[in-house]
Amino acid sequence: MSLTRSTLWVGQSLPRVDAPGKVTGETQYSGDLSMPGMLQMKILFAGRPHARVVKIDTTQAEAAPGVVAIFTAKDVPVNEYGLQWNDQPVLCGRGQGEKGSRVAPDVVRFIGDQVAIVVAETEKAAAHARDLIHVEYEELPAVFDPLAAMQPGAPLVHPELGDTNICVHDRLRKGDVEAGFAKAEVIVESEYFTPVQEHAYLQPEAGLAYIDEEGRVTIKAGGQWTHTDRAQIAHALGVSDEEVRVIYPAIGGAFGGREDMSVQIVLALAAWRLDQLGVRRPVKIVWSRKESIIGHCKRHPMRLRAKWGASKDGKLVAAETEIIADGGAYMYTSNKVLGNTTITSTGPYFIPNLKTDVYGVYTNNIPSAAFRGFGAPQALFMAEMQMDKLAEKLGLDTVEMRRRNALRDGDTLGVGTPVPGPVSILHCIEAAAQHAGWEKEPDGWRNVKRENVQPANLKRGRGFACGFKNVGFSFGYKENSWARVELHGDEEIEGVVAAHAGAEVGQGTHTVMVQMVAEAVGVPLEKVTLMTSDSAGMGNPGSASASRMTLMAGNALKGAAEAALAKWEAEERPAIAEYTYRAPETTPFDKESGYSTPNFAYAYVAQAVELEVDTETGFIKILRVVSADDVGQAINPALVEGQIEGGVVQAQGYALMENFITRDGYVLTDQLSTYLIPTILDIPDAVDSVIVEVPSPIGPWGARGLGELPFLPLAAAIAAAVHDATGVWFDELPLTPERVLRGLGKI
Amino acid sequence: MAFHKVNVTINGEMEQVVVPSNMTLMRMLREILAFTGTKNGCSAGECGACTVLLNGEPVNSCMVLAVECDGTEIITVEGLAGDKQLDPIQEAMIQEGGVQCGFCTPGILISSYALLKRNPNPSEDEIREALVGNLCRCTGYVRIIESVKEAAKRS
Ligand code: FES
Ligand code: FES
Repeated sequence: MSLTRSTLWVGQSLPRVDAPGKVTGETQYSGDLSMPGMLQMKILFAGRPHARVVKIDTTQAEAAPGVVAIFTAKDVPVNEYGLQWNDQPVLCGRGQGEKGSRVAPDVVRFIGDQVAIVVAETEKAAAHARDLIHVEYEELPAVFDPLAAMQPGAPLVHPELGDTNICVHDRLRKGDVEAGFAKAEVIVESEYFTPVQEHAYLQPEAGLAYIDEEGRVTIKAGGQWTHTDRAQIAHALGVSDEEVRVIYPAIGGAFGGREDMSVQIVLALAAWRLDQLGVRRPVKIVWSRKESIIGHCKRHPMRLRAKWGASKDGKLVAAETEIIADGGAYMYTSNKVLGNTTITSTGPYFIPNLKTDVYGVYTNNIPSAAFRGFGAPQALFMAEMQMDKLAEKLGLDTVEMRRRNALRDGDTLGVGTPVPGPVSILHCIEAAAQHAGWEKEPDGWRNVKRENVQPANLKRGRGFACGFKNVGFSFGYKENSWARVELHGDEEIEGVVAAHAGAEVGQGTHTVMVQMVAEAVGVPLEKVTLMTSDSAGMGNPGSASASRMTLMAGNALKGAAEAALAKWEAEERPAIAEYTYRAPETTPFDKESGYSTPNFAYAYVAQAVELEVDTETGFIKILRVVSADDVGQAINPALVEGQIEGGVVQAQGYALMENFITRDGYVLTDQLSTYLIPTILDIPDAVDSVIVEVPSPIGPWGARGLGELPFLPLAAAIAAAVHDATGVWFDELPLTPERVLRGLGKI
Repeated sequence: MAFHKVNVTINGEMEQVVVPSNMTLMRMLREILAFTGTKNGCSAGECGACTVLLNGEPVNSCMVLAVECDGTEIITVEGLAGDKQLDPIQEAMIQEGGVQCGFCTPGILISSYALLKRNPNPSEDEIREALVGNLCRCTGYVRIIESVKEAAKRS
């Protein structure tokens, strides 16, 4: 049966399916859960950046009132975990779980490493007892600066993994850079610094663990990927995946920060060990804001060096780039993040000759990992600033410069293979430029002069920048997503039950899933019931990351719906079908040249910014942001706009105000009063979303992906606008008033 | 630790609660009375997720001691809707897309509700002023502002 018809539900701005529960206070997040007989848990964090645990004495703590149990490394069957590599102990210390482990389990490598957990009748009793645990440490020499950590002789964070702290080195070698630079009319060399960013999702980590009716250790805690949470928990407990169950309650934001483990493994460990000790009671934990800030990963800070050349007619001829990223204490997803940094370091432009080296380095800082954009915002800050500086030297308009170099269908990326089409960066550039007031003249795009504002200390400027990013997992990962669709009824379909375990982290994916199921089956929305995020009885959804959920879940649900409809036609009642969508194959980088087909799909974005710099105070006021994002097909345009606005404001925080300060591995900004994120008074006067729709041939109804796009180019667009206003290039973020005044030579 | 008897009206219902001296209103609501709609984002007066109405005024309930609330009237997010009928600000938040992850939503609803009570036709600046204490990491606030404007139109 053909499903081709004009769409009923796809493309409609419908209200979110989860909004009613959220506005009445009914929706339960993990910190809201409770069960009869529930115990409370507290974690003893190491609170030091690098040390060996010599001895843990829990006698006094165990005797404290209300304490039920204290667990340490001795209780962890396999004391290692990690999303990419198992390089982190669950609880630091010596114990049973070292056999076969590659990492020394008794070493603390950053302040947020966990050492012991206390389970007690009340939270207060647990906190009190935690403070009575005596741990003897042997301090180890630590390293916090990634450049220092790369030097021979630097203290090693993981001596057992090799004799260097360099844990990632990606290269691109394409053409001949020397020959390329020889053809250059202008060359720009710069060094950029991008900062740490804290996710600061409003809901701190929390969770509840219990043994379910089938004897499974069950964890209810927000995450981004049920099945890898489960796999990491099962690995540490030394049990099979089927003996562990992960359920997601409502999740209060994620942005990549919930992709790695926080409370999940220790919660599971507590419920599981208690059960072995004859105490079958649920265990709950809620992290404070401070615990959340020291306890989960951050956006990689980077130092980016670039030497780019362009010919007289504004064509890029060669680029040489070296990027060094602080990976922090553990791998988490650094290898993948930096792979993405490597690919996006060219910007969405064709560059014939390339030499790129990207390093990830272990230090004793908080691990760096996923955060909206996944390594691309840093690379694009560099690439887009290079484009602006080259354009300035050539006397070209910034939009025109981009237009001349934008990737076209069939162009090869830095990895030496053609970019999967259709490539829509030009559509985005034109849409954003037009909307923001650039004009297309016979000789190219031109930024039309605007009136000057009074008083003289307020300088206005306009900036423009582009971005692109993969949709879905890369580098040879067998990208897939599972779904089930059940059609109930007799004569006609009376109800549809769809199951997909993909995480709703606030982005609206459940709403989009319901719309796509209703569309695929051809029924009214009200007939669709969605079963969500439970690892028991559901296949692997893949992660709510890499802007992949609409494309991957959409294809999975569409496939399951089509298969169920076929069974329905064949008179099966109920008609039930499962389907796993498998994305086109990708390949990893060649070690020497980076040659690969790393991704199966990309999405594109262009942004324009207009702002005002107060040259007396250094304060930057964003007047307007235009964001043109190619989403392929907006399944729900209102949700797309919501993602664009949210992404823009988060990126504005990154570019202007979010200043994560550490000293010797300790965090000085561990509260929301010291780590400032945008309030409602900080946002731009206007955010104009321009939805571009160039369908993806492999996307459901043509959809690409979205979540990360609006974040990607904003910092560069802002810095360009500040340059336009003041004539000064700022190569380091965030552009706090102090940094601006320094740059202007005022202080 | 001394304990105190506190009489409060919560969402129109009289409650008598025994609380320790150092318990905050937020914890009393969440842990003793199970009004978990009031969220804990920081316990430090920094995020506004715990905002409730105390005698009609929006307060960060994590910064108020439960004992101080003896004899007061409290409204939480659970008390905004009437019998089966959502308040206009709740409806507007659904329609205008002011909700994403929803964790800030209860606090934002309460602050907006209080604003609309004292000023049924707020300007955009007044809306921003009223919500400055409520952080949201997801929406960029644009649709939250639209929601408040829409609610003002509806009520
Ligand atoms: S929890 Fe009260 S202000 Fe954040
Ligand atoms: S909707 Fe997530 S914090 Fe506001």
